[in-house]
Amino acid sequence: MKYLKLIFRNVGRNRLRSLLTVLVTVVLVFVVTLVWSVLWLLDQVTTEKSQNFSAMVTERWAIPSRLPFSYADPLSRGAAHKPGDIQPLDSMTWQFYGGTLDAKNFTRENIIFGIACEPEKLATMMDGLNDLPAEQESQLHEDIAQLKANRQGIILGHNHLDATNKRIGERLKLTGIGNFKGLDLEFEIVGTFPAGRYDTLAAFNRDYYNNELDAYAARNNGRKHPLAERSLNLMVLKVPDRAAFTRLASQIESSPEFSNPAVKCETMASGISSMLESFRDLIWGMRWLLAPACLVTILLVIANAISISVRERRLELAVLKVLGFRPYQLLILVLGESLLLGSVAGLISAGLTYGIINWGLGGISFPIGFFDRFMIPTAALWWGPAIGGLASLLGSFLPAWSARGVKAANVFSKVA
Amino acid sequence: MILVLFAIAVAIPLVLWSIGKIPLSYNLRNLTLRWKTTVMTALAFTAVIALLTVMMAFVNGMKKMTEGTGQPGNVLILADGATDETFSNLNVGDLTEIENLPEVARQNGRPMASRETLLVVNQLTPDPAGGYKRRFLQLRGIEDPRLSARVHGLRLLSGGTWFSEAGVQEASAPESKSDEAAPLIQAVLGEGVAHELGRARSEEELAVAKNRDRLDVGDTFLLGERRWVVVGVIDSAGSTFNSEIWAKRSLAAAMFGKDTYTTLVLQTEGAATAKQFKKFLAEDYKKAAVNAQVETEYYKSLSETTAQFSYAIGFIAVVMSIGGIFGVMNTMFAAISQRMGDIGVLRLLGYARWQILVSFLLESMVIALVGGLLGCILGSLSNGWTANSIVGGQGGGKLVVLQLAVNADIIATGLFLTLLMGLLGGLLPALSAMRLKPLDALR
Amino acid sequence: MDTAPQDGKIVRIHGVHKFFQRGSERLDVLNGVTLDVPEGEFLGLMGPSGSGKTTLLNLIAGLDTPSQGEIWVGDQLISTMTEGQLASWRTRNIGFIFQFYHLLPVLTAYENVELPLLLLPLSAAQRKQQVTTILELVGLADRMYHRPGQLSGGQQQRVGIARAIVTDPTAIMADEPTGDLDARAAEEILNLLCMLRESLHKTIIMVTHDPRAAQRTHRLLHLEKGLLVEQVNA
Repeated sequence: MKYLKLIFRNVGRNRLRSLLTVLVTVVLVFVVTLVWSVLWLLDQVTTEKSQNFSAMVTERWAIPSRLPFSYADPLSRGAAHKPGDIQPLDSMTWQFYGGTLDAKNFTRENIIFGIACEPEKLATMMDGLNDLPAEQESQLHEDIAQLKANRQGIILGHNHLDATNKRIGERLKLTGIGNFKGLDLEFEIVGTFPAGRYDTLAAFNRDYYNNELDAYAARNNGRKHPLAERSLNLMVLKVPDRAAFTRLASQIESSPEFSNPAVKCETMASGISSMLESFRDLIWGMRWLLAPACLVTILLVIANAISISVRERRLELAVLKVLGFRPYQLLILVLGESLLLGSVAGLISAGLTYGIINWGLGGISFPIGFFDRFMIPTAALWWGPAIGGLASLLGSFLPAWSARGVKAANVFSKVA
Repeated sequence: MILVLFAIAVAIPLVLWSIGKIPLSYNLRNLTLRWKTTVMTALAFTAVIALLTVMMAFVNGMKKMTEGTGQPGNVLILADGATDETFSNLNVGDLTEIENLPEVARQNGRPMASRETLLVVNQLTPDPAGGYKRRFLQLRGIEDPRLSARVHGLRLLSGGTWFSEAGVQEASAPESKSDEAAPLIQAVLGEGVAHELGRARSEEELAVAKNRDRLDVGDTFLLGERRWVVVGVIDSAGSTFNSEIWAKRSLAAAMFGKDTYTTLVLQTEGAATAKQFKKFLAEDYKKAAVNAQVETEYYKSLSETTAQFSYAIGFIAVVMSIGGIFGVMNTMFAAISQRMGDIGVLRLLGYARWQILVSFLLESMVIALVGGLLGCILGSLSNGWTANSIVGGQGGGKLVVLQLAVNADIIATGLFLTLLMGLLGGLLPALSAMRLKPLDALR
Repeated sequence: MDTAPQDGKIVRIHGVHKFFQRGSERLDVLNGVTLDVPEGEFLGLMGPSGSGKTTLLNLIAGLDTPSQGEIWVGDQLISTMTEGQLASWRTRNIGFIFQFYHLLPVLTAYENVELPLLLLPLSAAQRKQQVTTILELVGLADRMYHRPGQLSGGQQQRVGIARAIVTDPTAIMADEPTGDLDARAAEEILNLLCMLRESLHKTIIMVTHDPRAAQRTHRLLHLEKGLLVEQVNA
């Protein structure tokens, strides 16, 4: 306690210097927090869970994965045939669709990307939609009920809703693009995903989609749509634990039912990890170049500031020694000042980053893979003070050691 | 533009030096006297500029790749509505009609047209952390590789050959347990993907490899459920073809379930003809609806990702620069505080306020320049590094292996930024020094 | 610039007042000082702490401006000059010697002496000639390239004196030039000052507490509470 007062006074002795040091730390901790937030989320989604996780079944070799819809039923049973074979707890089909609001001039902003699925599975099989607060959960269930009742209903993510400039209850026409050319779909907006979840996704009835695929052939003299034979893109299967997953994967991959095309069964984490492999070097750069460069800069700036401060106060430190302060106490004093500056700055930065990015901007926009926005996790609130504190401790260690070693006799002889 | 800004940034300290009467040696010696402070401040600049240089080299590599791909005299055809090759499905009948249009160049009576199917496939590779992981590769199915190579203006590195009509060759020894007699599928690799695939080799394989850096002619790899053999490596540095595997279309498409063509590339007489042909196909050609683009423009449009990265880099550069500016400001305020006596003497001797300002501004810029130069040098070491990324436009993307490229513009940008940081960071302290009254300073 | 006949007087001070404002309080330091200094005089100023002697020295040197009154140095009325005018005037007309030398520690003796010459339109060769001549004059020719940290107190003060006279100023101001020196060094400095005055006919105004320094002056003025109260001919 006795040090605290001295530490505070010393920090306040040169307010300009302390302020500049704090500002540098705030700014650089902000960058590190942004980078670590992106990396943290990517690590989260690529880390294997030990239980209650989802397995993903996709085409074994090619992307985009395209499987015959006839695979859906046997996959939902995990290709179980023999007694003792394991079945998934639940399943969900995903059929992708991409359409534009403006066929003549489509841009990234007016393209809606969605999945055709069984409406009720949205609440039980989608990560992030099965652990909502009560109010949001209730609203989601209402929207899903509307979707079930209305074959041409659609639930939009918030970004898509904003892009359409429409409201719930209004109708929406999409013109298929790319592989989906020829499939023009019409919807009624029945709901939205909770804000911050699946903002760039839409979901609609798979029955409607499959009917439209059939109707295409009727409209085109029996010529099927190129996607008709393989309209199922992936299946999500829920399994209780790792052991169950391993057995299920083996059942599916060895089943002769899924040989043309062949399928692979992997965990969600593994699937996402594969997709991120293309960004491996970018992620490496963020983790090992960008963040460390910021940390090194914080360290240098703090080291410099404390070093200057110690140099200016040699006489004072000598006086403290004459008064009876021990070397380790001077070390603690200087380290304490640095730690105070660094951790307070880090805390301020983390708090501001969290508030501005999450509440102000709705997340960091960094389109990597199919991720669109990254939120700052709550853990960042302790990253900030930890980064600032650790950088300041490391940076100020040498100046603090120098302060500890001040010799009163030498200092006073110079002054005389 | 960058060079203009750089020239201005260099001119400022040179002009300051020429008009300042206080010898620069005064500033330089003070910097060496307080060398620890100088080094720490300069190293902060080094960190910022080195990082910026590497990031810009990455973006420059992407840009060079997308802008270095394609021939200005080629027209690239995708399916109507398709923005990316992987989402394109072309009708065979339409292709034949278009190939025979008069704008398409011919050689020995044959239209110079390359029919292609681009596939993205995954490959299992050992994970250094244990187990396996998958990576995605671009596989381009080609009908006639020699024709396609002429259309694209590509050639093989010496020692290689294009794949045969059949696209396969007998295995010299049983390579896989499941298909012991299966012939090897012949493939021609871009240098970048050859390098990538070569990285997955075991120590034993590397020990006997023809080329330790990459796969080379004769080397094999597993893809899908078949073993493939490298028959040639494309001289493709600086283009997206660098990251592709070429093989016989009929084999590749069947193996990976894509029975339609994705792309038709047509060679015309030259750039002007290509532009006209593209316009004709887009506006006047009624027999089929296709998405026609001049090939170079198509690849250039993939630099949308480059733009996104550039904004991110710009943001990071500005934010980290703030750190550098405040850091040098701290140092200079401390320096002035310690040298108030000097300032008082100089003012007393008759040096004007603005000369004090100039002197301390120069000192700040010297620290920045030294740190920034070192940062440029360190960052330049990244030149030639390879990196994976995706370049893409709307709704799609190409997996590429690119080379980071440091050029004069990047160095100029780095030096400009460091001098600007030094100027801005030193300005407030120098102004405060300038405002000191001689008597107050001497007290 | 204002000019007036000199009548052999190098410094003329008429009715000079100087006060400082410290918050709401006004501190009167000089209360109507009138003084003439003939050319070539070695004038001493003594007085207790707070008497205004250093303030008077600073006013004559053009480092400050009086609240009221006139100060002429040479034929220039300096009390109405702007700060910028005073700065360039000081270079050519005033040499200042400090108690604590105030040499720039990173510059050599040569470079410290050369500093004021850099403000004049002289070539490098001309500057070199002047600097080496002056350093020889003060007896430091063999220490030209030493830094202050490598010189004794007396040697540093000699460099200070060299810097003060290198521009051939109209007058030399010395603020306790022996205050930080031992007896022997102080004696050497005083001898040097006297030699300069005699050989170069320099006007020297010196503030001092040192009785031995006071004895060397031609005229000794006593300041008390901002007024010249006693004149003692040394």
